[in-house]
Amino acid sequence: MPPKRKNDTAIKVEDVGMEVDAVLDSGSEDEARRRTKNRRAKPQRKAKQVSDDEEDEEDEDEAPRKRGRKKKAKPRDSDEDGEEEIRSVKSKSSKASRKKAAKEESDEESEDDRRKKKKQGSKKEKEEQNKGKKGNVKEKEGKDKGGEKDKKNKNRKMSSSHHSSSDDDEESLSEGEIEALKEQVEEKKKLIATLRNKPWRMKRKLVLHKEAQEFVEKFEGALGKGKGRRLYVFKVMMTKKLLKFKRDFENFKTACIPWEMKIKEVESHFGSSVASYFIFLRWMYGLNLVLFGLMFGLVVVPEILMGLPYGSIPRKTVPRDEQATAMDYSVLLDFGGYCKYSFLFYGYYNNVRKIGVLQFRLPLSYLLVCVGIYGYSLMVVIRTMARNANEGGDGAEEGDFTFSWKMFTSWDYLIGNPETADNKYASITTSFKESIVDEQENQKDENIHLRRFLRVLANVLITCCLGGSGYLIYFVVKRSQDLAKTNPDNLSWFDKNEVEFVMSLLGLVCPPLFEAIAELEDYHPRIALKWQLGRIFALFLGNLYTFLFALFDEVTAQLDTEKVIKNETEWTLNQYYANYSSHYNTTNVPPLEIHPADVIRGPCWETGVGIEFVKLTVSDTQVTYLTILLGDFMRAFVVRFLNYCWCWDLEAGFPSYAEFEISENVLGLIFNQGMIWMGAFYAPGLVGVNVLRLLVSMYFQCWAVMCCNVPHERVFKASRSNNFYMGLLLLVLFLSLLPVVYTIMTMSPSFDCGPFSGQEKIYDVVMETIDQDLPAFIGNIFSYATNPGVIMPAVLLMVLAIYYLNAVSKGYQEANNGLKKKMQMARDEEKNRRNNKDSTNQVMKDLEDLLPNKSLIPPPSEEEPPPDVVIEKSPKTKPGAAAKGVNLQKDVSLAAPNPRAPVTHAPGPRRGPPGNARGPHPGPGRGRGRGGPPRQ
Amino acid sequence: MGSNSSSVNNIPNAQELMQETGFSAAHILRLHERFEFLDKDKRGQLSPQDFGALPELALNPIGDRIIGAFFSPGQETVDFASFVRILAHFRPTETNRTRDEAQQEPVNSKTRKLKFAFQLYDQDRDGKISRAELLQVLRAMLGIQVTEEQLQSIAERAIQEADLDKDDAISFDEFRKSLEKVDIDHKMSIRFLR
Repeated sequence: MPPKRKNDTAIKVEDVGMEVDAVLDSGSEDEARRRTKNRRAKPQRKAKQVSDDEEDEEDEDEAPRKRGRKKKAKPRDSDEDGEEEIRSVKSKSSKASRKKAAKEESDEESEDDRRKKKKQGSKKEKEEQNKGKKGNVKEKEGKDKGGEKDKKNKNRKMSSSHHSSSDDDEESLSEGEIEALKEQVEEKKKLIATLRNKPWRMKRKLVLHKEAQEFVEKFEGALGKGKGRRLYVFKVMMTKKLLKFKRDFENFKTACIPWEMKIKEVESHFGSSVASYFIFLRWMYGLNLVLFGLMFGLVVVPEILMGLPYGSIPRKTVPRDEQATAMDYSVLLDFGGYCKYSFLFYGYYNNVRKIGVLQFRLPLSYLLVCVGIYGYSLMVVIRTMARNANEGGDGAEEGDFTFSWKMFTSWDYLIGNPETADNKYASITTSFKESIVDEQENQKDENIHLRRFLRVLANVLITCCLGGSGYLIYFVVKRSQDLAKTNPDNLSWFDKNEVEFVMSLLGLVCPPLFEAIAELEDYHPRIALKWQLGRIFALFLGNLYTFLFALFDEVTAQLDTEKVIKNETEWTLNQYYANYSSHYNTTNVPPLEIHPADVIRGPCWETGVGIEFVKLTVSDTQVTYLTILLGDFMRAFVVRFLNYCWCWDLEAGFPSYAEFEISENVLGLIFNQGMIWMGAFYAPGLVGVNVLRLLVSMYFQCWAVMCCNVPHERVFKASRSNNFYMGLLLLVLFLSLLPVVYTIMTMSPSFDCGPFSGQEKIYDVVMETIDQDLPAFIGNIFSYATNPGVIMPAVLLMVLAIYYLNAVSKGYQEANNGLKKKMQMARDEEKNRRNNKDSTNQVMKDLEDLLPNKSLIPPPSEEEPPPDVVIEKSPKTKPGAAAKGVNLQKDVSLAAPNPRAPVTHAPGPRRGPPGNARGPHPGPGRGRGRGGPPRQ
Repeated sequence: MGSNSSSVNNIPNAQELMQETGFSAAHILRLHERFEFLDKDKRGQLSPQDFGALPELALNPIGDRIIGAFFSPGQETVDFASFVRILAHFRPTETNRTRDEAQQEPVNSKTRKLKFAFQLYDQDRDGKISRAELLQVLRAMLGIQVTEEQLQSIAERAIQEADLDKDDAISFDEFRKSLEKVDIDHKMSIRFLR
């Protein structure tokens, strides 16, 4: 009887409460059970006496009979005593063999046990003995209680049998639980009694004794009567409740993860790679919610609540000449008119230092929130990346038995819902397909030189493409700048929209081109996706660059006009003051009374930039949705229904259904986020718009993908950490940080709009706050900290730290790889050994199997594997494939094409549950895939 | 603690069953309730249709085989005793069972559990899961979504992975070996039977 384990069980029982029904006992459980059976007979009898006549007559008979039998047995006890003791000292196995002994004997035996314990003579034993005879005692005091309990039990029983398990959860201690406990207590007592005879070390004995005693003390309450027992029942009930609550809470937590079910459904039909996009989208939504909270909570809402209302000052009023069209739909759609002078944009915000009763410092808050958005995003992205990296690589290497495991263990036996079952079928199929793809990669028998050549060639081609498109963009932008200087009347429509035209053309042509070139490389789809992502990213960077370029041109132009207007207004004001004072001959000049709508004002370039960003975001969204509707939905619709009357098979042939483009969708998301980061400074409302967009995207794309796409030809397993997405995101974040920081640090804000109007530079707000509102020493500290003499060493220190940490992580990685290799080698070795000594001693082999760490045992010298097996690995195959150690006798072609249908229903031969309408099975005429119509 | 336990005595052969299977009285009781619930026409016997009424089994790709495992060959029904004996496979293992030589292996040991699972796949009971048998299971699980060729190769791979003695079939030992890392004790246990 291993003591440690026993200890474990005791603890388990405490932890688990009595959720489980009964026996967690150790070796001599049979005996214990038999004993408790007798015991149970007594309370039962007691209950019987109280309960009314409804009880079966049979039972009434049974109990007295038992009693009689026991009495009969008693006299014989003395004879059997000695024998019994010997037997118990012997190994327990003998008891097992006696299992089939009759009932009577078991009664006697338990009596014997008790007597034996008495002999050993511990006090507790005596107590227990008394309790054992509780038949008499309890009959007197506990009658009403027993009656109650009886009724309860009866109710429970009547309340239906199939709920019994859940019932037990709720009701107080069930019978079985009490029994289990009794058994355990008995067990422990027995241990205490027989501890002296055990051939163990003293130390162990002491420890065991202590543990057993504690256990008995703790749980005797369960067997006791009155207060102790009730307390115990209460305690157990509470643990049970707590457990149940915890379970429910876990369920609740899972249910709270937004869109988890949707994503799981997509995953089961389209594989983890497509699901990874949706997970990324969800993550992005979470991030944007936080940004939204920051922006609206600290900037927008305070300004709306505590700032001046609309129409009170020029920057919050639509100018007179725009008022006629300010409510036009077309104007609003371009975010002009009332939109332009609303809280959505930078210009609306007032430059009063403190507003409202709270003395809220809005300009400062505006700046800090914008900086904070960057800080938070950076932190979150980097933290997520780090956590993903910790999660450990790709999780691709699961071991040797991928297929067997999938085959034998992938079904979830608790699935009772047809829809869930369908999803499970789909996901099993998908996971098999994913494994097939991985296998194919491992088994690829490759010509390494050709492969290398092709890869280099592909990269050269793609570099050429990228260079060409970069030059094209540059050329077009340059040309448009030149054209802009000439008279706009001579320009054709094409001349005006050249840049956009070329950009979208590139975006349309290049990705498929890249994909076609990538065919040459013949990478694993997972890696191919990364390459594709990187390449399209480089292409899109051109997009971004032109956009920014155009924007800055516009801004400089606007800055010029602004300067002019500023001078003019100042001049007019001076004129007004001069005229007024000379006319009325007074220095007390009342301010100029002009309606805010009539005030001359600058162009407010920040709002202009903000409008550009919002427009871009919205149009981007529109384009995405339209593409889905036309490109995917309409296509699917046409393919599905025109197929009935077409000369070739549309579904299998040319147009077919669309696949879900992971790379483009991910990049779309990333660049959109870049726009948000850049634009949030100029248009606080943009964050809100984006949150809306992502929300709609989630539902719309989930629907679209399930409705009108088919899974990829080669479904592949996504790497569990989508760190590649994150890396791209980080890069975009950094890129979008630059222009905004540039604005904040060097450009001067507009003089008549926005929270920073009147400042020389935007960051002066911070300086001002430090000077005026904080104690002087903080200002000093700040000036010291910004000293180059401090900053340079700090940067140096950071660089050193990075270097050091990098070196350390590399070291760990190497160690990790070494260990992995070792494990693999050990596995291979074992496999080889097993293969090579089939004919040798069977007994030895079995023995070895019994040993826990057999792989560590050096093989017997005569069974050393022949050296050729060890060096068997051919240099051409990949290490993964070689490590499998399976030499393929047959040419296993896993390369057969997948039928490219999404799994919509379970395969045929299954029969549905009787009386459960699962809808008609789709016939073979249904063709592959789901067509245009939404799912029933 | 009255009537509930008294009904143990209503169950025929309850004591023997308990000793044979290692269930406690409460377990037997619970199982009996379950049995009666499943037994729609109250004959004291369960037919395959009774099992088929459970959606979990009906939806299971190898549900038929699981149901079949309850019936000894040639018999149409199963009575309570055999029902309990089969379910004894799913009694959770005690963590601290002593390993005595003389003691016969309990029915809920890891090996016996695996054996039970193995027999679900080994339809012709020759002690080996052949390729044809694997293919049957695969067809039930994947069906039309995967080409026949791929099914073949999956079966081929699965056999290669597990096959140690190169006899082109998975014997019980190999089966056990390949599922070594799976927590069978946990997976093949019914919680309420603990």
